[in-house]
Amino acid sequence: MQTQAKEIKEGALEKGLNRFLGDEGCLVFGFEGGPVGVRHRIFKGAIDGHVLFNPYFDVNGALYLRRLFSKGAKIILMLRPCEIRSYVELVKLTQVEPEGIIAVSVDCPGTVSSKEKVADLPADGPGLAAYFKAEDKMRPACRTCRERRGVVGDAGVRIAADGSLWACSYTEKGDAFLGLIEGDPAAVPGMLLGESGAPKGPFHTDMAAFAKDFAPCIMCKNCRDVCPVCYCIDCLFNGDEYLPKGDALLNKVLRTGQGAMPQGREVFHLVRMFHVSQSCVGCGACEEACPQSIPLAAYFKGISERLQEMFGYMSGRNADEAIPYLTFQEDELHDAED
Amino acid sequence: MGEQTEGRPQIVGFACSFCTFKASEMAGSLRMKYPDGVRIVQVPCSSRVDPAFVIKSIFDGADAVFVAGCHPGDCHFIKGNYFTRRKMAALKEMLDAFSMKEKLRLFWVSAAEARRFVQKVTALYDGIKEAAHADAGKRN
Amino acid sequence: MKTGIFICHCGHNIKHTVDVRKVRDYFSAFPNVVVSSDYPFVCSEPGQEMIRESIEKEGLDRVVIASCTPSLHDELFKDVLRKSRLNPFLLRRVGIREHCSWVGDDVARNTEKAIRLIRAGLYSAAHYVPLEEKMVEVTKSALIVGGGVSGLSAALFLSNMGMRVYLVEKGPVLGGHVRTLKDIWPIRKDGAAVVGEMEAELRESENVEIFTSTTVTNFEGAFGNYRATLHTPEGDREITAGGCIVAIGFSPFDATAKPELAYGKDGRVMTTVDFEQRADSLSLPAKPRVAILHCIGSRDEQIGRPYCSRVCCINALRTAEAVRQRYENSYVECFYMDVRAHPRGGEEFFEETQEKGALFTRGNVAEIIPGPKGLLVRGEDTLLGETFEREFDLAVLSVGMSPPADSAAIASLMKITLDKDRFFLEAHVKLRPYDTAVKGIFIAGTCSGPKDMEEAINHGRASGVKLYGFLSAGFAAVDPFVAVVDIKRCSGCRMCERACVAKAIKFDEAARVVHVEEAACMGCGLCNSTCPSSSIGLRGYIDSALDDEIAALVEAV
Repeated sequence: MQTQAKEIKEGALEKGLNRFLGDEGCLVFGFEGGPVGVRHRIFKGAIDGHVLFNPYFDVNGALYLRRLFSKGAKIILMLRPCEIRSYVELVKLTQVEPEGIIAVSVDCPGTVSSKEKVADLPADGPGLAAYFKAEDKMRPACRTCRERRGVVGDAGVRIAADGSLWACSYTEKGDAFLGLIEGDPAAVPGMLLGESGAPKGPFHTDMAAFAKDFAPCIMCKNCRDVCPVCYCIDCLFNGDEYLPKGDALLNKVLRTGQGAMPQGREVFHLVRMFHVSQSCVGCGACEEACPQSIPLAAYFKGISERLQEMFGYMSGRNADEAIPYLTFQEDELHDAED
Repeated sequence: MGEQTEGRPQIVGFACSFCTFKASEMAGSLRMKYPDGVRIVQVPCSSRVDPAFVIKSIFDGADAVFVAGCHPGDCHFIKGNYFTRRKMAALKEMLDAFSMKEKLRLFWVSAAEARRFVQKVTALYDGIKEAAHADAGKRN
Repeated sequence: MKTGIFICHCGHNIKHTVDVRKVRDYFSAFPNVVVSSDYPFVCSEPGQEMIRESIEKEGLDRVVIASCTPSLHDELFKDVLRKSRLNPFLLRRVGIREHCSWVGDDVARNTEKAIRLIRAGLYSAAHYVPLEEKMVEVTKSALIVGGGVSGLSAALFLSNMGMRVYLVEKGPVLGGHVRTLKDIWPIRKDGAAVVGEMEAELRESENVEIFTSTTVTNFEGAFGNYRATLHTPEGDREITAGGCIVAIGFSPFDATAKPELAYGKDGRVMTTVDFEQRADSLSLPAKPRVAILHCIGSRDEQIGRPYCSRVCCINALRTAEAVRQRYENSYVECFYMDVRAHPRGGEEFFEETQEKGALFTRGNVAEIIPGPKGLLVRGEDTLLGETFEREFDLAVLSVGMSPPADSAAIASLMKITLDKDRFFLEAHVKLRPYDTAVKGIFIAGTCSGPKDMEEAINHGRASGVKLYGFLSAGFAAVDPFVAVVDIKRCSGCRMCERACVAKAIKFDEAARVVHVEEAACMGCGLCNSTCPSSSIGLRGYIDSALDDEIAALVEAV
């Protein structure tokens, strides 16, 4: 998959990014270290405070790229693979103009929930990989991650087994990123993070478990609002049809006798599950944002993986890959016919 | 969720105007009989059926839902039912994950196939009824 | 909102298993229902008058008519609203006959189902808005596929009415099967003469273009403006036609499908089709023994041809008569199940043929065994109740009509349907036998089922009349059920655009939303179900209407 690669020697990344930021209208969207841990940051002019890894998951950064249509800005994204995959999905959905954007995915050994307030995680790749060797240290969504490696987007930053860092280019734009790093292309050594194994088994549950898990839902819609690929500017569930309030609610209850509140909880999640099924990257931002600690990631990730698997599709893998619901074959899916 | 009243399943079916709905009309003209629990919503094409409708039907109280249209290759709107098949296959996969696969059926009935329409909906109705009976037996 | 609900008894068709009074009373108490009444036949003049009066007197703004299936009397009821100056798309038809009273026997359950169906219509109609009927200009021309007598008949009518006609025939000459017939009963003319007259008249017309050895390779568009590609020996030709008549005829039953009758194995076994050509050159002995078998390839469940082919009994009689005329000392025996000499004069023809010396044995022929001295015909005489075995010099199989070889290809090309026997399916067997489900495409002749020559000619003319009726005004009303975008809610993801089969959706780069080209929109609704926010909606079938319909079908009564 790699076309070219270069070792990133000490300081070379900062130097290269600063050179990039020296030009008018250039930005880097990555991470910044600080007193409260690592947070997202868009760098202008200089790359001070930039850190490569963000093992604290609070949001999926691709969320901030939605409806970015101006072609003037030149942006390098240096984000986690799930965030780059979400970005690729947004490009497919015409929600981001990709022309000026170079997407670089950085190897991600795992993350903890920003709510956990874990202190002093290692700042380097090998250190993080060692820390997250014990799977229970990372978020549930990360434990079942389908792609931790920086192999998506235009380029990637990879951790070699010997601890060195490598910049790898996957597209023409990726070559431009590579060009910022001083040094010559070289043969890439063995990498630290390997391919993720296949999921343990297809996701399976039942309505009783689902009802129980989602019973605490208060319909705050945080999950929807932080989901990077829930892009609709006016969601179906904003109106009176599914979740009525006031007079509309009164009419509905008088008519149907169904008064359990909040209304439409299960329908909301199930419909949303289907709507994002081909775009979900399993980042778990939904679960992170849920005030009621509902295990959203397991459901959304589980369902989306099953529904993508059935078409041999993976969200965010390739911007040219057609979304399964927008294409078909004349002779297929006969098992679905009754 | 679907609670059958006195062992009478409620089936909501989506039938496309040009094929399945026509077959259901012919079934009526020929005085063929099928269970009254089967109720049809007419849509121009099976591709009009939004997965949200299916989910909503189930949560409004339907014991099962069917989506029926022209045979693939014969869609009045040329390719609509290929898309129907994709979405409904995916929705079935999702319902299967929730152990509810039996609640959605997808089949094709052409305008001339009145008998097939009656066979399909009757088999669906009887299957749901039997399954509920078996469940009730297990519970008792 | 003021809704009027009108429940039809349809004589006793609905009333006999639906308690219409109970249904009427159920809805009288509904909010927003101002009128709830029942009537024996709402489609009758007084019934329509009653609805009109209600609309005007009560100021109704929604009308729900619960009666026969919605596709029947569509224009009739829309006109009732138009006459009361109410937009015709504020009408909701609910089918409680074909979908309720006729398909169930239990009155209590049917009544409950009817209530549910009407309630669904009521809730749905609450979301209806007035819609403008689109008027499109139509091309006053017709494409007729098939140059047999039904196609010729349609072509003659349409050309006489001043329409441009494109007559396309796959074979090298016009006339289909009739051309091959000799001494047609009862007109006593040869088929070539019949066809010749029709063809001559057509060739004289200035507005008729005849294409032979030509097939239709492409067909698209909508009623009023179909575009077809004709593959002619001189190359491809594109034509535009307002409508199309499919008249591709039938295929004679292939008797080799019944190997026990030895057709194709022995030259002494032939079909009525063969006999037509060879009657004058048979070279039979001086006192020939001729067997004529009825119902070959018809009324035969075993080979999947359960239907009666309508013409073969008369053909058998013609054959018997022809043999008796040519061979004074011939022994002619017809083996029949029934003698269906249905046309006018047919029964007399049957009597005459017997008087002319043909014998009729009611029986099933099980096999024909060719031998050196003759054909051994074995069977069972069902009136005497005993088997028989007789020797003949010639056996003529009166074969039935099978669907035309191209029926599947044409059906696929034009998106029309075939019935269970693979003939073309008419829109309604009694009320609309010339229409197909596709507006502007008609069927004529034997391709929609066995008919004799007269019937085929009449059918062709009738289809021509229907097509002419549709196109004569020069413009036609098209249903306004097309997709429409709410640009305030559209996120510009272009999923609908990529899915759209008709390529009717276009993206506006500047505004970052999509819009629908209404003329191209087919009205399937695929876009609506593809859009996660339903920002693009199919008029007449919007989410809120269908959602409420679903709820109404399942909620307690």
